[in-house]
Amino acid sequence: MRYFLLRRLPACKQMTVLMSESMERPLTLRERVQLRLHLWICIWCVWYLEQLQLLRATLRERAAEDDGATATTLPPEARERIKRALKSES
Amino acid sequence: MSQEQRARETPTPDPAAWVDEHGDYLYRYALFRLRDASRAEDVVQETLLAALQAYANFAGRGSERTWLVGILKHKIADHFRRLGREAQAPQREGEEFAHEEFFTAEGQWTDHWETEYAPSDWHASPAALVEQGEFWQVFQDCLRPLPARTASAFLLREVDGLTSEEICEVLSITVNNLWVMLHRARLHLRRCLELNWFKLPEGKH
Repeated sequence: MRYFLLRRLPACKQMTVLMSESMERPLTLRERVQLRLHLWICIWCVWYLEQLQLLRATLRERAAEDDGATATTLPPEARERIKRALKSES
Repeated sequence: MSQEQRARETPTPDPAAWVDEHGDYLYRYALFRLRDASRAEDVVQETLLAALQAYANFAGRGSERTWLVGILKHKIADHFRRLGREAQAPQREGEEFAHEEFFTAEGQWTDHWETEYAPSDWHASPAALVEQGEFWQVFQDCLRPLPARTASAFLLREVDGLTSEEICEVLSITVNNLWVMLHRARLHLRRCLELNWFKLPEGKH
């Protein structure tokens, strides 16, 4: 039964596109049904969707906090150059 | 109101102090989105110069940093607009990132995952990932090969939370262009992270 469905529904390639679009726009009823059925039988795509959502959630968390994970600083030469430019303007 | 009070009421801008207090933050903010050190430096400089000019509108009301970041966002958007005007036709951009090889080309399982490219289970959580500096290093390395506009579209969407319409305006692309770019960015990033961060499945790569 599952293979019957898998063979007749849009395949993983189309589903990856749909999964990405599901994060951008509401899906039509037909699209939602197709995706649901596909995910019912395709664990790989289940993981794919989970991972897209994980990536989104991780980036959102990072955006929410000041870049605590790195120690990147404005390089000293840039710092001086900018200060000089500002001084000549004021 | 005394003379001293009146002087305190109208603050004077101290640009050198802005660089000291906010320079690193603004630079990191710009660098994450522009992914180019010298462009990030330029945009920080443009921001502070613009802030100096616009100081009368701000004049110490509210948070200095919030105000500066607001100007920075505009400068970054301006930069992306320039990028959009100079870039090639959006549909052609990043065709190699369509990754046809991930899916079976023919036979009864056409367009299904090829086994060696199919996703594995990550067993991961955002909280665990976000605080690891090395993860962000790998993430940046994975972003790097993507075409500039594709990567920018992805970051504007996922980090800055811009709407589709806003991103399309900034990058001079249509909504369909955008969705293709986001799909390709995700397809590529997911795979790249699985290989280089999660290193799954053990032994397969």
